[in-house]
Amino acid sequence: MRDLTVHYDTPLGAVRAADRISFSLCAGERLGFAGESGSGKSTMALAILRMIQPPGRIDGGQVRLDGVDLLSLGDEEMRRVRLARIALIPQGSMNALNPVMRIRDQIMDGLTDHGVRMSRREGDERVRELLESVGLGRDVAERFPHELSGGMKQRACIAIAISLRPRVIIADEPTSALDVVVQKQVMETLARVQKELDASVILVGHDMGLMAQFVDRVGVMYAGKLVEVSPVREIFTRSLHPYTRMLIASLPSLEKKGTFSGIPGLIPLLRDLPPGCAFHPRCPEAVARCRTEEPALREVRPDGWGACHLV
Amino acid sequence: MTTLLEARHATRIFGGGLFDRTATLALDDFSLAIDADRPAITGVVGESGSGKTTLARVLLGLTAPTTGQILYQSQDLQTMSRQGWRRFRRDVQVIFQDPYGVYNPFYRVDHMLTTPVAKFGLATSRAKARELIDDVLRAVGLRPEETLGRFPHQLSGGQRQRIMVARALLLSPRVILADEPVSMVDASLRATILASLSTMNRDRGISIVYITHDLATAYQISDTIVVLYRGSVAEIGDVELVVKQPRHPYTQLLLSSIPLASPERTWLTAKEPVPVAAADRSDTGCKFAARCPSVAPPCREAAPPLFQTDPARAVACYLYRDAPSASGDHSEPGRSSR
Amino acid sequence: MAHAAWRYVRRNLSLVVGIVLLGLLALFVGIGHLVVDTNKSRPLSAPAIRPPSADHPFGTDRQGRDLLATMVAGTPLTLRIGFIAGFLGVGIGSILGFVSAYYRGAVDSIIRGIVDIGLTVPGLLVLIIIAVSLRKGLTVDQMALIVASLAWLNPARTVRAQVLSMRERGYVEVARLSGMSGPEIIVKELMPNLLPYLAATLVNAVSAAILASIGLEVLGLGPIDSPTLGMTLYWVNFNAALINGWWWWWTAPIAIILVVFLGLFFLTVGLDEIANPRLRRVI
Repeated sequence: MRDLTVHYDTPLGAVRAADRISFSLCAGERLGFAGESGSGKSTMALAILRMIQPPGRIDGGQVRLDGVDLLSLGDEEMRRVRLARIALIPQGSMNALNPVMRIRDQIMDGLTDHGVRMSRREGDERVRELLESVGLGRDVAERFPHELSGGMKQRACIAIAISLRPRVIIADEPTSALDVVVQKQVMETLARVQKELDASVILVGHDMGLMAQFVDRVGVMYAGKLVEVSPVREIFTRSLHPYTRMLIASLPSLEKKGTFSGIPGLIPLLRDLPPGCAFHPRCPEAVARCRTEEPALREVRPDGWGACHLV
Repeated sequence: MTTLLEARHATRIFGGGLFDRTATLALDDFSLAIDADRPAITGVVGESGSGKTTLARVLLGLTAPTTGQILYQSQDLQTMSRQGWRRFRRDVQVIFQDPYGVYNPFYRVDHMLTTPVAKFGLATSRAKARELIDDVLRAVGLRPEETLGRFPHQLSGGQRQRIMVARALLLSPRVILADEPVSMVDASLRATILASLSTMNRDRGISIVYITHDLATAYQISDTIVVLYRGSVAEIGDVELVVKQPRHPYTQLLLSSIPLASPERTWLTAKEPVPVAAADRSDTGCKFAARCPSVAPPCREAAPPLFQTDPARAVACYLYRDAPSASGDHSEPGRSSR
Repeated sequence: MAHAAWRYVRRNLSLVVGIVLLGLLALFVGIGHLVVDTNKSRPLSAPAIRPPSADHPFGTDRQGRDLLATMVAGTPLTLRIGFIAGFLGVGIGSILGFVSAYYRGAVDSIIRGIVDIGLTVPGLLVLIIIAVSLRKGLTVDQMALIVASLAWLNPARTVRAQVLSMRERGYVEVARLSGMSGPEIIVKELMPNLLPYLAATLVNAVSAAILASIGLEVLGLGPIDSPTLGMTLYWVNFNAALINGWWWWWTAPIAIILVVFLGLFFLTVGLDEIANPRLRRVI
């Protein structure tokens, strides 16, 4: 992705939900995007699939998959890309299942829509395989969504997402509504199917702990901008941005009591961003330059990108 | 020990009426006592379906337990007088999970604070009321001039939640029930809100019941932890013991499932997920039996009682049946009265 | 300020169109009362069956009524029936709806039962029966009350539905915990949020009431001596004006009725947009 920008038109003017986001994703890699509300991470995930609805619009940039710029494709071509080459596990996907269709039919929906022709038996077999690969029994195929638990529904959504063996799986907060025990099962499932498909995963979320344990690289987003991209280990040991450091410091640990502190101040409103670096009002290390000049994301060290004047 | 707020063998069943065959046992023979003399923070940790929301509602008197009692200052809520209720409503405050739905969109946020002041007669004049409100807002780290006069949609979730905390403080309560107060708030703001809860406990002697699914935050601020599983207590005790040396298999499962934000990556395993059957509800025996790696025949026959494995901790598991049985009403573990 | 107003017009065109239409009607009636002698709406005030001319811009009818005067005098009467019936209907219906939804239990069952049964009975039929049973001459206000007797049913049901969903909101619970009583919660917490919805329901009810009253009048069951729009149509029918080719007699009332209903319709759509934020288009 290069310089992707998404605007939302509001009665008070255009708001930049994602500002010149650039990153690259390698085959088989797990990339995480961490951010709080208003960071633009979900917007960016939807933009990759060109699923931004009015009043939002993609305002520039490129999204290249295997060399092809998705933003330049026609509607029909893009439709073919969705699910077949890039799949999305949307936020709250448990509610994305059609309540009056059996799971089997919902999986078949995606397949037939992309022109896969199969006999009834072949279809059943394929569905069974998919369900098995996400750890669901074959009886789930005949069930309706309301008969399944939250975790099972989420795994059904994963099954739909991998049904056409995509190259990239985008998971937008896939476990935010799930219990911690179920979350682990779902993430283990995702890890397994990713390996089988040799696909890449983009995990969007706000849980740094989940990021730490699942992804290879982390991109940290703040107020619509990408402020750091580093390998996950280095995010914790030598991060390149004060926001990342403070965000990690605000996480409660299970080791010692009384060790977590919040970031003072508030996340800025996207329509009212401060001049210069968007984080400077809350940054304890801010200098004069931070107030006037917006730092660009640059490669500070091999594979370590930071948008801060102080690195 | 004198108890302030107490649940005694509270059970709450939903449904199961004449036309409804599916009865849900939300809370099962639950007992907990909040000490009046030593205000502490009690963390109640449970996943969805554990009964923690029901527990909050029952402790607040918003629903009555099907059997068992909720006692405030040794008076049963069901038989309390009107004055008793008024005192109860002052002394026991709540912070809800959702910082959006609790605000009436028609009014400015001031309404949230002026209503209790008016209804409980906390101030004799408008000026005094304003002073009181300013005080509590500052106590939670908000600036009155930036907060008052705004509509709810103009403030962030974190700010709205802090106003709820301020509201709770207004009435100088003795107990605050916080039902997932930070789960809908951004991670970087959670610490501030939890810190104010901690301060309120320390400086104002307010007992806090902190209900959450997040074991990490519960660990950080609680003194005692209660682990709930499907309406029953799995483990209860001093927070350091329960978290660092969990004994109940469910507690152990919970702890091992939490992804830690640290550079070591030991969380993901290559285990095949056990396809959980949709119906693994057993009516008799330990509720965790179907998922327990250490399950044995006695587990399916009758639910295990609480065993006092350490002076400051009790576990409801037959693995520890050699330990003495904890008494029925467990308050401070180790202070069981017989 | 003007820019914001223009943006709103573009966003909610219906509301503006509705207001404009009804405004024009109000102007018509207002100026009409100053310019035209409303006594001419009585029979035998003008030569009969005259097509529109300088003396009688809307023509005259068979009984010698000047039709312009009739329209000017009759429109407010028709509207009045609608407003009285609409307000009464929504007023009573809302109160019952609130009480029913907030307190539930036996009260809810009773009110809901009456409303459910009442709504299945064909309303016009009931109104006809009532109107026919009142042997003496009907006045405009009595018409209003007759229509109101059924107009409360629908508002009761819709308000109940709205309140049922609202009462589960967090702020109702907080209000209860703050010590507010039931009626207090209804008035202070629930009702303000329902105001836009009630406004839309009101306009709807007024529209329905006008339609019902015109329906009754056309059948001859209205206040015979009043020059209301519906009664005029009754006379049109009675005197076979259509067949006789006295087009000016029926054109005027129908045109006005059209403006009334279009105006109310656009107003409803416009208010709906305010009441239901999800319908809002963003320009």
